[in-house]
Amino acid sequence: MEPVVQFDQINKSYGKHVAVDNLNLSIEGGKFVTLLGPSGCGKSTSLRMLGGFETPTSGRILLSGKDVTRVPPNKRNVNIVFQDYALFPHMNVAKNIAFGLELKGLDNQRIHRRVSELLELVQLQDYAHRLPAELSGGQRQRVALMRALAPDPDVLLLDEPLSALDAKLRQQMQIELKAIQEKTGKTFMFVTHDQEEALTMSDTIVVMNKGRIEQMGDPDTLYGRPGSVFVANFIGETNLLRSTVLGVEGDTASLNWNGITITANQGGLTPKPGEHLYVVLRPESIHCSVTEPATGNRIKGKIRQRVFKGNHTSLSVDVGDGTLLNALVHPSDVAQLSGEDIWVGWKAETSTVIPDRQAHN
Amino acid sequence: MRGIFSDGPRTALTAFYWAFLLYLLLPLTLMMAMSFKDASFVAFPIGNWTLDWYGKVMQDKQFLDACLYSVMIAAASMVAATTLGTWIAMLIVAEGIRGRMIIFALACLPAVVPGMISAISLRIFISTIDMPTGTAAIILGHTVHAVPFVVVMALTRLRSMPGNLVDAARDLGADNVVAFFRVTLPYLGPALLGGMIFCVLLSIDDFVRTFFLGGYRPTLPMLIFAKVQGGMSPEINAMATIVLVVTAAVGLYAEYMTRRARTR
Repeated sequence: MEPVVQFDQINKSYGKHVAVDNLNLSIEGGKFVTLLGPSGCGKSTSLRMLGGFETPTSGRILLSGKDVTRVPPNKRNVNIVFQDYALFPHMNVAKNIAFGLELKGLDNQRIHRRVSELLELVQLQDYAHRLPAELSGGQRQRVALMRALAPDPDVLLLDEPLSALDAKLRQQMQIELKAIQEKTGKTFMFVTHDQEEALTMSDTIVVMNKGRIEQMGDPDTLYGRPGSVFVANFIGETNLLRSTVLGVEGDTASLNWNGITITANQGGLTPKPGEHLYVVLRPESIHCSVTEPATGNRIKGKIRQRVFKGNHTSLSVDVGDGTLLNALVHPSDVAQLSGEDIWVGWKAETSTVIPDRQAHN
Repeated sequence: MRGIFSDGPRTALTAFYWAFLLYLLLPLTLMMAMSFKDASFVAFPIGNWTLDWYGKVMQDKQFLDACLYSVMIAAASMVAATTLGTWIAMLIVAEGIRGRMIIFALACLPAVVPGMISAISLRIFISTIDMPTGTAAIILGHTVHAVPFVVVMALTRLRSMPGNLVDAARDLGADNVVAFFRVTLPYLGPALLGGMIFCVLLSIDDFVRTFFLGGYRPTLPMLIFAKVQGGMSPEINAMATIVLVVTAAVGLYAEYMTRRARTR
């Protein structure tokens, strides 16, 4: 199938500052794709280039196979949900949603039908005649979404639309957004710096850093098999163990970490003995116990800090020389870990190795 | 309890305020009172009260004609000044404009140049380009005077406008013209309404420019001026009172409308 969006060797610089650096990206239709990265990573610039509000310094942008690189925003079939919604303050909800339809030249009857249909989708039928100022944050968000969906764009662009909402509402809207995307079957391109949003909603996450794609994949892969230190740190909490390869046996690599021999999944790399790598060990993969575990990696340690987080407790465990490992402990297991001395253990296949980029540069 | 003298500055401030109000309102009140006096001299005491002077004014062909003329000039200069002022304000906030401070300073100049100087320079200008004095020249003069006020009001509103409203309109298929008329202009609405009414009031009120640029047909202030030269009479007081009441009502209404629109 032909991709809906294609960024073909896109570069964008402002003077000497390179915002987007040779971006190549194809997005399949009907997917929820998230551009994830810290501020200044080029994700918003990429979105604005697709929207037509920025012109790439070089490269081509294809939309449904057509080159739209220099087409103005009003002539391309994409719509944006802006960060602060940008609802027209002097138009009521129905008029806001109808705006794009009117400009497409639809007749009044069809506009009316489409607007009611969309309002129904987000249960705002009773608010059609309200002004944006008379709506709550979540309602404005829905109206902005429907206004952008109304003209039936090839791709819907969402520029951090949830960042203005409070935490509870944000979680609710994540689920709603995903549901709307599935119901309408539209391609959503979502930009955020919030890894939790990205993990919750996306079919595909594109992690960006310094204007480049760091890694692209589904949430499971990015979380379980991060391809770089940056991705491992950016998505979820993690323990990074800088280690030296001792040997590889099947899928499992054995490594030397601070004088301790540990094993980890080789993660598609083919590590050579003597090579320096990082082992990614997620806090929830670590099992804490009072007695020594029978199998897998195990290290004796001392609990330095306990942080109660409600549905779990976060432990900082000193495994010697002040090296700390973060571990998550389920509430039912906390009681038995009352003392300072514990064992931390994990199975080799729950940890993975990633290259130490710095070592190569 | 605090004595009057323990809070000196505050008492002084309050006293000043009332003194100022008195100074502001007393002449106006006197003028209005005299317009109801049943005698032809403007002086106390007022023996009998009457509405005759108002009747006389309303039948005064000269007065009615001057009113009409003033309103016509005000309307024309309002349309011209609002259009120009909005355009200049849009230019100043537009992306990639160099020297916006210079444009702004030039646009505001007519508001600070003394009326007399402005009037003389305009007079010299129109005679240089062989434009006759009269209606067109007056409208020109009033427009130049009113533009800065529209620019400032429109700019204030434009600067409070979320930058991506126009982007959103463009994104939904509007070209620049449609975006301007359907999004920017309605957003500017309250400020422009205020600006327009201000233009009208400035124009109706203007004497100096009109005096230098006018032809034989008098505007309202010119007519009143001519009449005053023939001696004060309660008829002039009645005229002035009508003008005062109407302009104050229009001004207050404008203020109310802009406030209401702004809180939305």
